[in-house]
Amino acid sequence: MTRPDLSQPRAAAPGTGGTVLEVDDLHVEFRTRSGVVNAVNGVSYRLAERETLAILGESGSGKSVSAQAIMGILDTPPAVITGGGIWFEGRDLLQQSEEEQRKVRGPGISMIFQDALSSLNPVYSVGYQIGEMFRAHRGMSKKDAKKRAVELMDRVRIPGAGARVNDYPHQFSGGMRQRVMIAMAIALDPRVLIADEPTTALDVTVQAQVMDLLKDLQRETGMGLILITHDLGVVNEVADNVAVMYAGRIVERGTVDDVFANPAHPYTDGLMSSVPQVEAKGGRLLPIAGQPPNLAAIPSGCPFHPRCSRRRLGAAATPGRECATDLPPLRLVVPGREAACHYSEEVLGV
Amino acid sequence: MTDQQQADLRHDEVEAGTTTGLASPSVDATDARQNSLWSDAWKDLKRNPLFWIGGLLMLVFLAMALLPQVFARGVDPRECSLSNSQQKPSAGHWFGFDQQGCDYLANVVYGARNSLIIGVLAVLVVLLLGVVVGAIAGFYGGLTDSLLSRITDIFYALPLVLGALVVLRTGTLGRGVTAVAIALALFGWMTAMRLVRSQVIAVKSSDYVAAARAMGASNGRILVRHILPNAIAPVLVYTTITIGVLIAAEATLTFLGVGLQRPAISWGLQIEAGQSLLRTAPHLVLFPSIVLTLTVMAFIMMGDALRDALDPRQRA
Repeated sequence: MTRPDLSQPRAAAPGTGGTVLEVDDLHVEFRTRSGVVNAVNGVSYRLAERETLAILGESGSGKSVSAQAIMGILDTPPAVITGGGIWFEGRDLLQQSEEEQRKVRGPGISMIFQDALSSLNPVYSVGYQIGEMFRAHRGMSKKDAKKRAVELMDRVRIPGAGARVNDYPHQFSGGMRQRVMIAMAIALDPRVLIADEPTTALDVTVQAQVMDLLKDLQRETGMGLILITHDLGVVNEVADNVAVMYAGRIVERGTVDDVFANPAHPYTDGLMSSVPQVEAKGGRLLPIAGQPPNLAAIPSGCPFHPRCSRRRLGAAATPGRECATDLPPLRLVVPGREAACHYSEEVLGV
Repeated sequence: MTDQQQADLRHDEVEAGTTTGLASPSVDATDARQNSLWSDAWKDLKRNPLFWIGGLLMLVFLAMALLPQVFARGVDPRECSLSNSQQKPSAGHWFGFDQQGCDYLANVVYGARNSLIIGVLAVLVVLLLGVVVGAIAGFYGGLTDSLLSRITDIFYALPLVLGALVVLRTGTLGRGVTAVAIALALFGWMTAMRLVRSQVIAVKSSDYVAAARAMGASNGRILVRHILPNAIAPVLVYTTITIGVLIAAEATLTFLGVGLQRPAISWGLQIEAGQSLLRTAPHLVLFPSIVLTLTVMAFIMMGDALRDALDPRQRA
């Protein structure tokens, strides 16, 4: 893989309609006493304005870790970013001082978390916490910040915002807490919002409301949205593009419609088959065989090969494309679709 | 959570789901001021009877320290007559007389000032040292933590009385009330530090700290605004209890001849002097002990009320 030309601004400035965030060959490892865990192994993606990019993967696939690396909230140590770049507004965040990075977080890139209750400080009222964004970043007075907090709570459709602004997080329901989180995250009109499993802790009807809210806010502000999830249904409904992660790598990337209709990687194919289908009522679900890989000992070759039904080993494989020894690169399979499998064409059936 | 609250929450969800478009701002005009941690805590404190009882007791002792003449009914504590030695309490002399034949009520009342100053001053120093050192060690971790924790261990290894004895013997601080308070605090802050440190470490890894970081909060803001308010409760309770221990420890120093010296008057001195006469004149230990206990109780009640008020989940 060739190194990008670092002298050129990569991600365009906001308002130009181009790329707002670019992650380039990101590597993250956790150095633990029992060895090195390779959590993210060369992840690259671009996010455009108004785009919703879903990052799909099972637990331990590195999807949350890559987001935490962008937000600078990895616990270091044990986590170490060993390579790559995170480009925002023409600058590589990883090359900047901690203070400069901090100024990007909030007004530039913001994040919402899975568990809104534990993500809100229990000792402050929600209005105070939302208002803190304005006080800390804009130097607003307490009175003005509170007024803005009420406006934001209205904007994320919290009923009776004016009356509830002094309530505490534990006095809100799960869906309302997630709205408070969203209000905090969008307070400073960020160009990029990362949502790390924003609906996993919510029940299904509330999930839909929260996702609708996120989409509406995106339409208003034009922000790019990175949606980290393992929920195929949510991806199908709200995302434009999807990147499927496995063992710290992106194994398939394309538009949601294409990828869902016709996967190019056996892992994606397995994911689709494991979803319950209304038409197939009474039939058995098809799980992916085996266990997710141990990131401290990722299998050689294609990391997915021990679980892959289409693997070709030894003499059965095309030379240079042996699944147990040769690591397949992420390559363009058909226009608009990339996959990291030696035999993607076969999987696609083209 | 009550059924009514549950119903309210469900109502919220339904209402949020049915709202079409983005609602117009409904700013509450009646209360434009931003509620802070402390203003909400104060609202809660006002409703807490523990706070009022503790506060009242504290005011009484504070008044006693400021205007001892009034509480001593104009009697001079140093006007003694050996003929009255160890007399039991009577209608004219509520607390009786001590061994030197001095009015004991006047002595106990005049002791409030020194004892309170020592207790409160020492505890403030303990709180300051404990919170600052503990927070820095817990928050920054690594080498900073190791260094500060080992320094704390060194102080732990020195017994309170021995340490204070050495400091007071060198004489650089003098032998007054401030010197005794500082000497006591210097060798009594370690538990507070350990408490704060462990709480900070526990709170540091919570999601809301990560969230605050992701929203661009600086280290200082995260420590002061997000971690400390959630980490302070145990140390508040600990320090309120410690006030009594410190007031009593002053007595030990006096016994060893390095604390306050007569003619200074303090509860510690009185309890110490009364101990040897416990069988013949128990009131000499009883009265200063009662006021000391009431003082400690007042602080504990205030500490408890404050802890509850600072935790929104405890609020009614």
